[in-house]
Amino acid sequence: MSVTELETKEIQLDAPTGLWRDAWQRLIRNPAAIIGLVLVSLFVLTALFADVIAPYDPRDSDLSRLEGSCCPGPSSEYWFGVDDVGRDQFSRVVYGARFSLLIGVVAVTVGVTFGVLLGSISGYLGGATDTLIMRLMDIMLSIPGLLMAIGIAAMLGPGLLSVMIAVGVVNIPIFARLLRGSVLGQKHNDFVLAARAVGVPRRTILFSHILPNAISPVIVAGTLALATAIIDAAGLGFLGLGPQDPSTPEWGTMLTNTVRYLQTAPHLAIIPGLAIVVSVLGFNLIGDGLREALDPKLRGRT
Amino acid sequence: MLRFVVRRLLLLVPILLGLSILVFLWVRALPGDPAAALLGERATAESIEQVREQYGLDRPIHIQYLAYLRLVVVDRNLGTSIESRRPITEEISRRFPATVELAVASLIFATVFGIPLGFFAAKRYGGFFDNASLVGSLLGISIPIFFLALILKWIFAVELGLFPTIGRQSVEINVDHPTNFYVLDAIIALDPVAFSDALWHLVLPAIALGSIPLAIIARITRAAVLDVQNEDYVRTARAKGLASSVVDRRHVFRNAMLPVVTIIGLQTGLLLSGAILTETVFAIPGMGSWLAEAIEASDYPVLQGGILFVAVIFVLVNLLVDIAYALVDPRVRLS
Repeated sequence: MSVTELETKEIQLDAPTGLWRDAWQRLIRNPAAIIGLVLVSLFVLTALFADVIAPYDPRDSDLSRLEGSCCPGPSSEYWFGVDDVGRDQFSRVVYGARFSLLIGVVAVTVGVTFGVLLGSISGYLGGATDTLIMRLMDIMLSIPGLLMAIGIAAMLGPGLLSVMIAVGVVNIPIFARLLRGSVLGQKHNDFVLAARAVGVPRRTILFSHILPNAISPVIVAGTLALATAIIDAAGLGFLGLGPQDPSTPEWGTMLTNTVRYLQTAPHLAIIPGLAIVVSVLGFNLIGDGLREALDPKLRGRT
Repeated sequence: MLRFVVRRLLLLVPILLGLSILVFLWVRALPGDPAAALLGERATAESIEQVREQYGLDRPIHIQYLAYLRLVVVDRNLGTSIESRRPITEEISRRFPATVELAVASLIFATVFGIPLGFFAAKRYGGFFDNASLVGSLLGISIPIFFLALILKWIFAVELGLFPTIGRQSVEINVDHPTNFYVLDAIIALDPVAFSDALWHLVLPAIALGSIPLAIIARITRAAVLDVQNEDYVRTARAKGLASSVVDRRHVFRNAMLPVVTIIGLQTGLLLSGAILTETVFAIPGMGSWLAEAIEASDYPVLQGGILFVAVIFVLVNLLVDIAYALVDPRVRLS
């Protein structure tokens, strides 16, 4: 067995498990993080089992449900009431979780993938590549987030996919900077020097030695980015850049389409709004808890 | 100090150039012919030809870019709005003050409430007030601005009638608008009714837009005060018998304000982004609602010019924040 293999094994066996077990212990002792875990589990389970939970088809509009008025409030038959075209609001909110989760996960995946790639290349190679990538990131950061998302979504044409890509691209520079800093900090560590000394290829050093050690800030930032992604996507939906088919049960779009009933049937706008708040709050609570749990300065103080 | 400023100004050049390239390419990436995109559906063959000529669309792309750069930098021409048929720079001079006014009001709201909130949370570390403010600030960053704006408008303006629902001033107010900052205009006109009316219109939008900065400022203040409280010089000050309020004011508060000042400066991007949503909800005729309308109308010249303008403002404000920070904290100048 070569030195490098030993090295890889040791990092994988030792550092991560210790760190993660430690972090987990601290996370589950933090009441705020537990509330976050509960909220997010609720949100993810709702999204996964939407077809089981929802009593009706979210797109099925039946004007007879309106009973001649707009719009009937919560009842035993329709828990969250009926919307302006006779769709069951509860089923729509439940399916909305699926869309929000999808948007959040895809957007953050886009941001993390490209951000991690660009940031680690930038930090590891240094020199002209670093300058070029980082200046590009600076330019992207010089446009306020939502404005850039609007530009991208307008360029791609409104729709669910555009919203996901737009929100994801906005996240790229954030992760790129994070990773670059992290890689720069580790580049001169002993284990990296050792791996280089025995001739491990640069790519292997970056991907199997440096990146695994840079992952914890990415997880924290990723959790918080999920929260922002859901809010930003709802904002784009509110501005009319979301799904163009109004029957799509996306929370931001649902809210926009029912704002005019705020005085007569406030539940139509308030319930999807609260759904956004609750899911975003969940991710923020977990993100905060993770940040504290993974903070090396606090390690060992369980 | 001068060297620091010059270096930062030089760093600005590639960013601004990159920004202009990005915005320039953006129009070319739009679906369809760029001339048609810039003119909208009502374009005639004649006007398309004119735009082709003006932007040099029949020439190679780098020449086109230089033509665009000259148009923007030398002629200060950002194009014409498809919807209003007015020059974009003219619209900006009317609308930008509204956004600045709203952003400043939001920042004042966030600072005036955020700093004391964070300070007292730190003073009662781990207590009820501390936990309540932590939960409150997390809630603050978890509520979409447009949702908060809608709820505030619905409860306080529509249902309770305490505040105006839309716009910047009531119809019966009649003052000149030399600056387009309505609060300032009322002061210039020495009209107390117009002054309170303009302020009254700002309250709800400022609370909605200021909610996230408020949460962030409170959290940073709390963290900074907790940090400073454990410093040796604070312990020394207490040990030599200084009154607790004097230590808080002279030693803790002053030193804790450094990171807070930076964070306040960093809210610009958030405020400019949030203004798009807040202005739309309250129908405030600023930059934000203008861009939102431009999306709906596919008014691409407005989006192009507006995004470029807002981004340049954002970059410049960040530069000013950096310089201000270097003035306050000499250590920054050296790094």
